[in-house]
Parts: sequence; C-alpha cells; structure tokens
Amino acid sequence: MKRDLTRIRNIGISAHIDSGKTTLTERILFYTKRIHAIHEVKGKDGVGATMDSMELEKERGITIASAATYCEWAGHEVNIIDTPGHVDFTIEVERSLRVLDGAVLVLCSVGGVQSQSITVDQQMKRYQVPCIAFINKCDRSGANPNRVIEQLRTKLGHNAVALQMPIGLESDFQGIVDLVSMEALYFDGAHGEDIRSGDIPDQLIAEARQKREELIDQASAFSEELTDAILEEKEISTEMIIKALRKGTLERHMTPVIIGSAYKNKGVQLLLNAVAELLPSPEEVKNTALNLDENEAPVTLSSHPEDPIVALAFKLEDGAYGQLTYIRVYQGTIAKGSTIINIRSGKKIKVGRLVRMHADQMEDIETIPAGYIGALFGIECSSGDTFVSPGLNLAMTSMYVPDPVISLAIQPKDNKAQINMSKALQRFTKEDPTFRCHVDGETNETIIEGMGELHLDVYVERMRREYDAEVTTGNPRVAYRETITQRADFNYIHKKQTGGSGQYGRIAGYIEPTAEGDFIFDNQITGGAIPTQYIPACEKGFRQSLAKGPKLEFPITGIKVAINDGAYHAVDSSDMAFQAAARGAFREAYLRARPVVHEPIMKVVVEAPTEFQGAVMGLLNQRRGMIVGAQDEGHMCVVEAQVPLAEMFGFSTVLRSATQGKAQFTMEFALYRQVPQSIAEKIAEDLAAKKKNAA
Amino acid sequence: MLKKDLILRNPLRQMGYENDDILPEGGFGAVLARAGVGKTALLVQLSLNMMLRGKKVLHVSLLDPVNKVDLWYRELFRLLAVQYQIGQIRTLWEDILPLRFIMTFKVEGFSVPRLQERLNDLMEQGIFRPDMIIIDGLMFDDTSKPVLDALKEMIEKLGLRAWFTVNIHRQVKADADGLPKPLLPADELFDVALLLVTEGNEMHIRDLKTGDIPSPRPVLILDPATMLIKENVAVAS
Repeated sequence: MKRDLTRIRNIGISAHIDSGKTTLTERILFYTKRIHAIHEVKGKDGVGATMDSMELEKERGITIASAATYCEWAGHEVNIIDTPGHVDFTIEVERSLRVLDGAVLVLCSVGGVQSQSITVDQQMKRYQVPCIAFINKCDRSGANPNRVIEQLRTKLGHNAVALQMPIGLESDFQGIVDLVSMEALYFDGAHGEDIRSGDIPDQLIAEARQKREELIDQASAFSEELTDAILEEKEISTEMIIKALRKGTLERHMTPVIIGSAYKNKGVQLLLNAVAELLPSPEEVKNTALNLDENEAPVTLSSHPEDPIVALAFKLEDGAYGQLTYIRVYQGTIAKGSTIINIRSGKKIKVGRLVRMHADQMEDIETIPAGYIGALFGIECSSGDTFVSPGLNLAMTSMYVPDPVISLAIQPKDNKAQINMSKALQRFTKEDPTFRCHVDGETNETIIEGMGELHLDVYVERMRREYDAEVTTGNPRVAYRETITQRADFNYIHKKQTGGSGQYGRIAGYIEPTAEGDFIFDNQITGGAIPTQYIPACEKGFRQSLAKGPKLEFPITGIKVAINDGAYHAVDSSDMAFQAAARGAFREAYLRARPVVHEPIMKVVVEAPTEFQGAVMGLLNQRRGMIVGAQDEGHMCVVEAQVPLAEMFGFSTVLRSATQGKAQFTMEFALYRQVPQSIAEKIAEDLAAKKKNAA
Repeated sequence: MLKKDLILRNPLRQMGYENDDILPEGGFGAVLARAGVGKTALLVQLSLNMMLRGKKVLHVSLLDPVNKVDLWYRELFRLLAVQYQIGQIRTLWEDILPLRFIMTFKVEGFSVPRLQERLNDLMEQGIFRPDMIIIDGLMFDDTSKPVLDALKEMIEKLGLRAWFTVNIHRQVKADADGLPKPLLPADELFDVALLLVTEGNEMHIRDLKTGDIPSPRPVLILDPATMLIKENVAVAS
C-alpha cells in the first residue's frame, strides 16, 4: 500500500438534490476502474448506482447516508465521502464535513445555484472546507455555465474562476477547452474514456484567450512567481498557474470551476485531475481534537502515522457480517491487532478485521494510517465515537449530549412493523446520541425523543423506508419542566391503621429552589428523629415525586429538599411508610412554593438573503422569539434569535414560503425559561382537556 | 426589585451630568481612545445602564460578530453583578436581554440608508424601538462628515441618542480645543466626548467637552482588571 500522505484526497461531493451527484460519483468510480459497468441512478436495469447503498436512496434517486468509497487517480488515493444533500440530515452532514478535507460542489448548469446549494455552501464555510465547483449537465437544454459562475459569485460570494469553457452547449455539447493548457479536449469511446486533445476551434480562440487572461490575473494574486512572470512577460507555465490556483483554493479565497456532463461522460476525468491538483491532502488541513483532561480545550493533531492513535467513527452500517464502522484516522496508525480505547465508553478494543470500502463491496487491508479512511468490523460503538491509543484522553466531538426537548408517541401498525420498529430504534439510538426512546409506563406507548420536529420526522421516515416499519405518530410534545420559585416548609404525618400492620412516619423540613442541580437532598436530622435506616427511603420518596409535578405533571427540576425533623413508631414505621410520608410532604409543600413551568428555548439562526431580513425578523417575532442580533454579511444576513420550541412547529414551511425558499435555519437547544402566565394557563387547559378525553 | 440593587444611576453622572441619559435627545456622544484601551467596554456599560433603567439599546457593530458583542455584554454584566453582590443574576439578565438588539455590518457594507432600512424593519413590525444607538467601529476621517450628518438627521428625527467609538492613533496629538484630530471634521455634531487615556497602570476617563459642568469633578477610571467604571478615590480627594 502506498504511504504518501501528500497524495491522499478525502473529498466530499455536495450538491442540490438532482444536480447529478450520484451519477457523477458513479462515473468517477468507472474511470478509476473501481466498477466496470455504469448503472444509472433511476436505472432501468434495476441495479442502481453503486454509491447509494440504502434502498430508499435507490428508489428515490437521492443520497441520504454518507457511504465512503475509495479509488485511485493519477497516483493519488481518493476517498469519496458521499455527503447527504438534504438539510434535515444535519448530524450526518456535520459528521461527514468533519471527515473530509476538500469538497466538490456540484451545480446544475440549468438550475444554477439553488437554495440547497446555498445550504451546502454555508455548511462548507462553517467547517472551512476548500472546494472546487463542477457545473454539471452542460448537455441539457437551457445550460448556461457562465450564468452559474456569475451566480457563484453573486449568490454565494465565491471568487469563482473558470478553468475551462465549453465547446458547444446543450445537445451540441462536444467537448471542453482547458484554459490552463490551452487545448481542446474531446471524450471518445463508448463511455468517454478516451480523451483526445486538439486545437481550440477557431471561433473560440479569442474568447479562450480572454478567459485565460482573466484566469491568470486571478491566480496571480496568490503567487509572486506568477506575478513576476506576468510583469516580466516571461512564459507562464502550467505548473505555475496550478500552484497559484491551489494556494488560492486551499485558503478558500478562490473556487476553481470545472464544467462537464457526467451523464454524457464528458469532463469527469478533468474534474478528477482538478481534485488531485487543487484540493488539499490531509497534511494540509489542521485538525483539532478536544482534550477531556482540560475541559475540552482544543488540541491540534499531528497527522503523523507514528504518533498515538486518534480516530473518529463517523458512520455505522449494518452489513451481512455485523456492524461496519467507518473511521477516519487523524493521527497514528490503526493496524490489525492494535489496541484502541473508545473514549465514550472507556472500553478497550482489539482491532480485528480492517477493510476499505467501495460502497457495498469491501477490500481487506492491514493498516489504516493517519489521513486515511477505512472501516472496522465487529466493533461495538456509536457514531461520533473517538478511538485513541491507551493513555490519551482526547475526543473529536464534544462529549456533551444535550437532553431531548421534544417527544413523539409512535405506534406500529402491525406485528411485523413492531419488530422492525424495535430494530430501527436500536440502530438509530446508536447512531445518534441525541435521539432516544422509551416506553411510557402509563400509556404503554413508545415515545421517541429528539432535538426538534425535523429531527424526529427524519427518523420516522427512515423507519418506514429502511426498516419497513409503518408507524403512526401522535402530536409532538414539548418537554416542559416545572420548578419552584420560593421556599416552603412541610411537616407531614403519614399514618394508617386499617387492618394489618400499621404505617407511621412524620417528616418535617423545607423545599427551596436551587441552581446547582436538578435535585439536591439535604439530611439535617439530628438526634435520630428519623432513624438512619429510613433516610434513603425518605430520599426515594422525594425523588419519586419529581417525575411528575403535582401542578401540570411535568418533571420537576432545580429543587433542594432538606429534612430536619420527624418521628417514627417502633412497630409501624417502615421504608414504605417513610416513602409515602415523603411523597405527602412534597405534595403539601410544593404548591406553596409557587411552582412555575419552564419551557425549552431554542437558539434559532436563520440565514437569508438580505432582502428578506425584515420578513425573517417578523416571523421570529410572531413566534414569541427574542431576536438577539442581526448580522449583515453582504448578500446574506444572519438573524439570531431565542424562540420557544413550542412555537417552532412548522417553521421551516413558513420560512420557505416567506423567503421563496432562499433562507435556511438551524435550531439548537439553548436554555429553559419560565413560560409566560398566559401560556402556562393555556398549557394547563390543554392538559385538562386531554385528560378529559382520555377518561 | 433586583434591578434596584444594581446601579440604576449612570456612573458617568459622577462627572456632573444633569441626567442619567447623559446625552440630550438627538445628541451624539463619542468615546475616543487608542485601539484596545476599552472603548467598547465603556460603551457596553453605558448600554447596560440604559437597559437596567428599562430603556432599549441598539448596538451596531462594524467590527465584531453578534456572538462577540453578546459576550462583552454577558461578561461585563457578570462582573457588575459580582461587584454589587447581586444574586440570581440569571433572572435579571433574562429580564434585560430583550432590551438589547445587536446589529452587525461589515465596515464596507455599512451605510446610513441601510441602517435606516434595518431600523425601519424593526420599528414598523413592532419588534424593537431603541432609545439609544451605539455605533462601534465607524471610521472617523476626512470623509466621514457626510455619514455623520446623515446619522445626525436620522437620530434627531427619531428622537434617539447615539454613542460612537473613535479610534485615535498614537501619533495624533490633541489640538487647541482638546479634541483629537479624528473627531474634528464633525466636531460640532457631538455633545459629549470622552477620552480614555492610560496613565501608568490606570485608564482615566477624561471629558473633552467640559461645557458648563462645575469643577472640580471626580476622576473616573476604568479598572484594568474588570474594565468596569469606578471612581478614582485617590485623585478625587
């Protein structure tokens, strides 16, 4: 196996749905000789493109899960991480973006920069991923690469520089003029595998010269050598231009543009050349991990294969031979038989089989060194887990997992669905730490919990598609909480003497609000007013009361219970009696402690073209949102607000229609805040109505 | 309730200003200093003081993103609460937070019509109507007069007050009337101008436009450790 880190490219292919991403990937695999036949996405042959390994993807012609696949081109090893193009799959997208070093932004030459491309571009910007653009579908009617380049500049703010120009367009699309080498290239053979170079057609020469000049002018900003050559009117070599373009691309100050048509087998090889020449190797990208010993302070990783191992599991797949874990090694080398530790669980793991994946087929390998992507077999872990050498305490992703803020009851339609649903839930909870599920003790319903409405929708849809589990869903429920706002004393006697052995226990003390934790129990009993053996029973009784608040039946948090007096009976006191006494005492004090309801508040960040800023702020304001700020970034603006989760249902639809689909938003949990009185009353009414219906 | 415990009086009033707003309606104020001395810290405290008195502040930053500006507020509020030993600061913070709106522009993207358009968006929809505007990071040079004139017109029309930060350079010496050079092109527009100067280990707040305020006045300083405004007892006495 070759070991030249400078010749590795870990790239993602990101695009709007239907801009031909999967077809492009398929062609790349064909030209790199990883596959020997080409299947179309919506194939008549029933095989489907090789990268889409999930049934849903095959059927709908879209890509959801990020399969990683390996190929070789011009002496470079290329790992392609097929990133999902849909905004809703955030965790998956963000994990993919962590793993890749560079990206190809695929754009449709007819559709141009669509709202989805804007989303994908924003994500790349966030993760500082250098990219090149590929304008696909130049054979389609209405194709206009120049317009798309202009859109790249105006809509996305990229410094887009064309490296090529088309020879003919639409049905007359014949080949490509390479502006760097100044030659015309044609793609012959059944699948365009033979590249024939020739002179630039006469009618295009003038335009090509002018565009080449523009290209060199742009590139010269990144190379003194090139600037000197221009000024001294020396000959400008291809290497000089490529070097300058590469520098500009790596710094994210320039986006080179390649054109072609994957479907018509034109230009894909040139794109591969550009990937090898212009996108970064793992060495050129700075990767950081979080040091868990120092409060998650960032640490830069060395990308040296001899250093201790740091690797990230970024995707799991259930295969025929058990769980397959895709990993990217950032530092050190994972070899067969080496020992690694899963930071999350602390478990030591001996590495068994190592493979390199090519969508559904695999190839056994001996080691995965730093900078490489591979897969492990038979390892128990979740997505996003970090593996390290013994002795290190680093994590690639934050260990902080927020509590879910929204829940949804789901019910399988039939018995078969029930079995499949439980399989699906098991898998999803492993993939995504923010997705949880449990069975409600009272209603016997299966409840799934997550970080937002879309988050849960995606999983319900995946259950249906991937696991054939038809489920009906209830209304989403916001995870409200109750807490108290003032101190209240209690002195409660639990006494029962109705046949059999009696029950007796008295507990006195107080409850008060605390910011230090969800529940604090303080035993201030002196002189054995309550014997020590009953104290745990008292604590248990209070804890039981917290699960469902007496006010609105939401969990209670932020409360301190102190007991300072009590009484017992030599015969009639028992654990049961003191538990009951504690529950009674809590009920007695709670309503006097001015309980209030808290609701989850989300940090909502909307990115929209500037002309929609007013509309976006209006929308957020209508939803009880408090706008923290508005950031003007040229074409785009970013509005940040804190909005109650309960008001965010259906926001994506409303936002889309208010902004012609040009805005996107992210939402994450921020804090719990007290619900205004009027809303609290409404919640109480709804709850009462629901109870009435249930009865 | 809790707010009363925190300073409700503007600390700058110790310099002898008539009311807590310091500026008259439609008035301009400037804080001048070299880079990194604490202009933003001083203005954020003025802003927090307004918020604690229930007035709304629009903070326009041409330098920092929203998060960074927000961090200034959080940090200074926390320090203020520590200094005055206020409990339950979270509740208080949540109370005053809706009184602040941060707006950021890239320096080259900032123009008065644009600010006016944004402000109209906010006011017409009833989202936010500021009582005071802070503009942090505006360039003050020979070309800034038209911008300031337009801002003055807007501020006067809306009956607001505006504070600016003015970056001065090491070489610039104050001229005859005490105003450093960068402010000069629009001198007549400003009602108050404060200069932050380092003297030894301390940062003194000097009033450049004395006006009719009786002297001797106490000297205020910015505590270099916390960036909070405090009275310099030694000098005052």
